[in-house]
Amino acid sequence: MKLFDSFRSALQSLVVNKLRSALTMLGVIIGVAAVIAMVSVGNGASQSVQNTILSLGSNLVTVTPNFSTDQGLRGAGAQAQNLTLDDMRSIQDQLGTSIVAIEAEQQTGRWQVTAAGQNWNTQVTGVTENYQAVRDWPLEEGDFFSTSDLNVNAQVAVIGSTTATSLFGDGDAVGQTIQLRQAFGGGKDQRARIINFKVIGVLATKGTTFGFSRDDQIVVPITTAQHVLTGQLNRVQQIVIKAASSDTMDETTSDVNNILLQRHKISDPANADFAVTNQNDTLQALSNVTGTFTLLLGAIGGISLLVGGIGIMNIMLVSVNERTREIGIRKAVGARRGDILTQFLIEAIALTGLGGVLGILIGWSITVAVHQIPQAASVPLVITTGTVIIAVSVSVGIGVIFGIYPAMRAARLHPIQALRYE
Amino acid sequence: MIQSVVQLRGIAKTYTIGREITVNALRGVDLDVRPGEFVAIMGPSGSGKSTLMNILGCLDVPDSGTYVLAGENVGKLSDDKLAAIRNQHIGFVFQTFNLLPRLNAIENVELPLIYGGDRHDRRARALSALEQVGLGDRVHHRPSELSGGQQQRVAIARALLNDPSMILADEPTGNLDSRSSAEILAIFQRLNDLGKTVVMVTHEPDVAAHTKRIVRMRDGVVARDELVSQPRRAEDEIAAGIGAAE
Repeated sequence: MKLFDSFRSALQSLVVNKLRSALTMLGVIIGVAAVIAMVSVGNGASQSVQNTILSLGSNLVTVTPNFSTDQGLRGAGAQAQNLTLDDMRSIQDQLGTSIVAIEAEQQTGRWQVTAAGQNWNTQVTGVTENYQAVRDWPLEEGDFFSTSDLNVNAQVAVIGSTTATSLFGDGDAVGQTIQLRQAFGGGKDQRARIINFKVIGVLATKGTTFGFSRDDQIVVPITTAQHVLTGQLNRVQQIVIKAASSDTMDETTSDVNNILLQRHKISDPANADFAVTNQNDTLQALSNVTGTFTLLLGAIGGISLLVGGIGIMNIMLVSVNERTREIGIRKAVGARRGDILTQFLIEAIALTGLGGVLGILIGWSITVAVHQIPQAASVPLVITTGTVIIAVSVSVGIGVIFGIYPAMRAARLHPIQALRYE
Repeated sequence: MIQSVVQLRGIAKTYTIGREITVNALRGVDLDVRPGEFVAIMGPSGSGKSTLMNILGCLDVPDSGTYVLAGENVGKLSDDKLAAIRNQHIGFVFQTFNLLPRLNAIENVELPLIYGGDRHDRRARALSALEQVGLGDRVHHRPSELSGGQQQRVAIARALLNDPSMILADEPTGNLDSRSSAEILAIFQRLNDLGKTVVMVTHEPDVAAHTKRIVRMRDGVVARDELVSQPRRAEDEIAAGIGAAE
């Protein structure tokens, strides 16, 4: 029997029982739509998390201080050396052009900022001259500070766009002077330190990361931060290196590790007083989390697909029973087992295949609809061809799995009994 | 000697009903059918004629004995081989017509060609078979839109399609009025005149009287096998305005 004839007779019997076919298909449609919608929402969420991470700068290798764990608490004999600006310069010199850029940062805490009669409270961070290159962060206006500003502990500042708006409104921020204030002492002895900074640039708007605005901050030369704001001379809280590419990140990570181990005179890497984190690792960890999330959502859709498949099997069994006589007639005129098997299997596959296609369309519509909700608008629409291929092949597979048993029952019918069936 | 279409030797078949009751439906049947014969198989119910019919039609296999159909021993073939034999050598006509209700006349007639034979001239062959039974103008009617006699003629057209070695009819007039019965018998006689071998199971002596040879079954064996000296002509009876089975 030609496949074409099988297809024709399968479609014929589906068309004859329109309502039944439609209801049977509904199970598969809902299942596939659920898988598509859930997985694409999950993928979208994971994409959005990834974008957030990458907005901090891409291909980053971060070094943070770590207590030497050699003797529990930092014991006698340990170098007790944290990260310094010299560490950063040394890495910069040794890695040279094999990396894109390197910078060091020191947090100075939150400060009260006043300018032009406005009052604001924000985070002030000391950074080095290549901050922009590492963080992929252009300026909206003005300039960034240079090495010479660092050398002279210049009291200059580059402020975030939110900070600029808060302090100066629509007015020009560059060239203005801001005052950083911090109270010290207590009770009636409380006094305030007031330090003047000149605004030389405003950073471009970057948005929020995990709910925190990255545009509300002030960056100053790290040397100024150390000498004027914190007094923690030469200490840095993190060194951030932008590797040449994602592929060279592992190499850069181990280079940085070696340089610092040598500089800190530590022979056993397990005792390192610093930690080097690779952004890939962070992304990996996060994508594991979001992957699990997506899998969970997909599994929920998968369950409805399974239920749909059982519906298919049920209807096919009823159909085989109803058409026992037809099977008998077909066998009498020469249909082989394989012919009957193919006919019923194609019917099941046609049901699930068509259901799968409709399910994709509906699932896609749901995803688009979800995207219209303002809260979800930032989640990118991700329907990959992979998702579609998997959904279709799974639904066709369900047709095969749940169709084969009824089809085999049909194929095994004895012609005489089938012909006598009333 | 002309080779037989059907050659049965010592055919036996036993059924088990429930757990313990065994029925010896056939107990050693010998039968030869030669090309061009028109044979009626008669017998009371329980005589084994239905079982014999099933074995002749390759719908069932005997427990013992040999069955040679058109020169091929079909006694011990697999299900799929038997299906191919049915497709090529046997044209079935049933009491209840057994047409597929969803297909129209020509699609029903085409059915054997779907499971064997070429595709390209399928339509044309089906059409000519329908014309042969006088239904050239009912090609696109569904079975439910046809009378019983017309449905049976569609079934005969279907049986003719693969040019089988033998047409096997099981009580073909059992569900028809006498006028339609006469028409169906006239078609069988005309086909037989053209050289077709027809084997027909019936319990009506009037119907059997239109054949050339009557085989009577009793208790699972052939009890009598006799030639009909003067077969009645269904066409003459139609012309005379009387039904065949009257």
